[in-house]
Amino acid sequence: MEHEQVEKEVARKSALIYLPISIGAALLFLLAATLLGDYPVVAKIGGTVWVGLLSLIVSMPIVTSRVKRQTKH
Amino acid sequence: MTATTKSLNLPVQGMTCASCVSHVEGALKALPGVSDVVVNLATNKACLTYDPARVTLADMTRAVDDVGYTVPTAQLTLDVRGMTCASCVSHVEEGLKELDGVTSAVVNLGLGTARVTYIPGVVTVSQMKRAVRDVGYEAQERSEGADALDRERQAREEEIKRQARNLVIAGTIGLIVMIGTFYDMLGPFKAFVPVGLSYKWVIGLLTTPIVFGPGRQFFTNSWRGLRHGVTDMNLLYATGIGAAYGIAVINTLFPKAGFGGEGATFFESAALLTAFIILGRWLEALTRGRTSEAIRKLMKLQPKIARLIRDGGEEEIPADEVEMGDLILVRPGESIPVDGIVKDGYSAVDESMLTGESLPVEKKAGDNVIGGTLNKTGAFKFTATRVGKDTALAQIIKLVEDAQASKAPIQKLADWVAGHFILGVHMLAVVVFLFWFFFGYRLFFDPNSSFILSPYKLGEIGVFGFSLLLSVTVLVISCPCAVGLATPSAMMAGTGKAAEHGVLFKGAEAIENASKLQTIVFDKTGTLTKGEPSVTDTVVSGQWAWMVDDQTTRHPPLADQLLRLAAITEKNSEHPLGEAIVRGAETHTVGTLAEPEAFNSIPGHGVEARVEGHVVLLGNRKLMRERGVDFSGLMSQAERLEGDGKTVMFVAVDGQSAGLIAVADTLKEYSVEAIQRLHKLGLEVAMITGDNRRTAQAIARQVGIDRVLAEVLPQDKADEVKKLQALGQKVAMVGDGVNDAPALAQADVGMAIGSGTDVAKETGDVILIKDDIRDVVVALEVAKATMRKVKQNLFWAFVYNTLGIPVGAGLFYPFIALIISPELAGLLMAISSVTVTLNTLLLKRFKPSIRREDRPQRGAGERQSQLAPATASGD
Repeated sequence: MEHEQVEKEVARKSALIYLPISIGAALLFLLAATLLGDYPVVAKIGGTVWVGLLSLIVSMPIVTSRVKRQTKH
Repeated sequence: MTATTKSLNLPVQGMTCASCVSHVEGALKALPGVSDVVVNLATNKACLTYDPARVTLADMTRAVDDVGYTVPTAQLTLDVRGMTCASCVSHVEEGLKELDGVTSAVVNLGLGTARVTYIPGVVTVSQMKRAVRDVGYEAQERSEGADALDRERQAREEEIKRQARNLVIAGTIGLIVMIGTFYDMLGPFKAFVPVGLSYKWVIGLLTTPIVFGPGRQFFTNSWRGLRHGVTDMNLLYATGIGAAYGIAVINTLFPKAGFGGEGATFFESAALLTAFIILGRWLEALTRGRTSEAIRKLMKLQPKIARLIRDGGEEEIPADEVEMGDLILVRPGESIPVDGIVKDGYSAVDESMLTGESLPVEKKAGDNVIGGTLNKTGAFKFTATRVGKDTALAQIIKLVEDAQASKAPIQKLADWVAGHFILGVHMLAVVVFLFWFFFGYRLFFDPNSSFILSPYKLGEIGVFGFSLLLSVTVLVISCPCAVGLATPSAMMAGTGKAAEHGVLFKGAEAIENASKLQTIVFDKTGTLTKGEPSVTDTVVSGQWAWMVDDQTTRHPPLADQLLRLAAITEKNSEHPLGEAIVRGAETHTVGTLAEPEAFNSIPGHGVEARVEGHVVLLGNRKLMRERGVDFSGLMSQAERLEGDGKTVMFVAVDGQSAGLIAVADTLKEYSVEAIQRLHKLGLEVAMITGDNRRTAQAIARQVGIDRVLAEVLPQDKADEVKKLQALGQKVAMVGDGVNDAPALAQADVGMAIGSGTDVAKETGDVILIKDDIRDVVVALEVAKATMRKVKQNLFWAFVYNTLGIPVGAGLFYPFIALIISPELAGLLMAISSVTVTLNTLLLKRFKPSIRREDRPQRGAGERQSQLAPATASGD
């Protein structure tokens, strides 16, 4: 039971870190796409989603395992 | 207990009194973060409260160990299903290690097992299983023996069936999707295809069940992993398939959305990518089981039935119900159910399945028999001495299983690389997307460009669609699918192959180390030599030859007559040299040995006896000098024999010199051949012995040893090995598993030779069941072949990625206007897994350079080499 609670806590804490990171990366892409060229809106949105998704995939395991380690120690 | 502290019942072994209790309590209390320590002697447990932020379980275990007690650990093997790659291995290992109470976890991808060392009472099996499930895999406790065999086979068959079902669905519908996609290019075949199949929404409808049916496994597995902070290959597939399908749906439903429109629907990519990945999984499941065939062969040897003799009658009982001391009957053609000693009867037993010995071994009363071997000719009764888990077969199976479950250093590195590779690939996918989105498309895109091996033009594809396509291809083509299988599959095949030849590696590390050896150190006595003196030469004095000639004929030969006289003289002697002469005479068939008429031992010098009316004096040079017997004519011969490290005994008959008998510890029959083969493998061969340098040099000369380490006391052998290691040599020590234990432990690879089948007792990294020194060569050849296979596999595993990533990322697109489609990338990855597994299967064809069939009948060689009689003219 205790183990599950710890896991939930880790998941919550991690999400508070990796979600802003991936949303930040996506918004950064949107900003760059808006400033750097005349891209169609759909390409900008699609790119933002794709960059956000990949950033989420990259940051999620890194952040979660780090938070887990910190919680344990 | 506060929110940050935890309570724990730590088992402690070795406590006997209240003072032990206070020691343990004191040690634990001294740790920062530990409080409320109560040690209970009756339950052997320490109940305590601790702050996990300040102290770990390892700290507590160490503290208990430091004061002389132990925290007991237990081992458990879990069958883990759903692992596909090296990163899965690290996820499961990490998931298990995170549990309090788990001290180590080693996962074998090839076997699909996790071997966990844990502290009982601190962590439960169900917690471990839950931890494995939490990271996205299924786990159950592994059962022993035949049960495990059945379960493993059942699980593998289920996996094959599941993937075959998925493949049929994905493959069939995928083919239809492909026909529909390329409808315009079908030419005259168009007539056979309904036009409706080319409609994008129809293709989309057909692709949907593939993605959400057979392809669902990738999404669910990767999501489960992601939630716990782990990434695996499923994630690569899921993002690849998901992105291709998602964009295709958008372009079909909203063609004006700007993702490339109808010309850029990737339904066939999503469908075929799923089909190819599943093809790879299915082929992998098919071939993976074959690498562990050796262990299955061994398990199949376990007999089911035993014929028990009870109250004078026979009774058939299950073999696992045989108890020690039971009397068992074995008929011709039957398997021997357990280990034992023959009580009555005579037969030949085929032990090849366990020892690699090709010739049947004769068994008579008093001989040992091994469970699982096959009785060939006669019937016999034997008394069971080892049953259940103690039988040789059970021990061998356990040893091979343990070896297969262990990890070689090279595998640890490969797992680490693969584990971090997936995250790196996702980062690369972002970089590739950003490059093509912001720069590449504008600079290099050509609407007439197409996919490799496809007439499909990229046409009106937009910047996002093109960049996404390359990004997805990178994800798929970078998948390190084969890396996880490369090492363990070869190790499993190698250890299994070695076991077939009676060579047991205790771990994958032993194989890796054995393949790098530069020097092999042999213990002399009992390893290179037989370990007991034998008659090597008889030299007849010319004077005695004349005397015998004068009285009798020369039949039997004079050398035999001399040996017979000496043997009768020594018949009642208990001296090792005397026993060697008697043994020599018996093996050399010099007739029956009568009792001496009188016998007198001369301590420190020899013996004197009356034999057939003659006075025979047998002893050393000093004895002959004292008795005034002139041996001057044979002195040069005596010195030559002594120079060869032999002990020379002088024989005088009726006060006249009769001849010399030389005795020495002789070489084992295959020592010379083994050393020659080792030299051919480019290894330096050394010999270590407590004997004096002259004797050692003599043996070394005969056998072709390069380096002699003589006059080394048994306790100093390990130091000699250390000295060689200090010279930068990778050293193997070959010796008796019991007497040479420290040296075996010190060496990079310790090989215990001739252990027989009681393998569990042996020290050493490699156990050679037979007393055949040539198995050292077999062990090295298997190790080299296995490591060669590992390196080839790693090459094949990485070569696809190394070559594929730049192509997939569009590095050559500006020059060739071609890109790899995601489905082709998926096919390449499937091929890489299959290449690796098939390459491993080639190891099955391995044959050692030494063939058992070349061996002469056991014992024949001994007789030939034992005696080399010589006559010499005397005075």
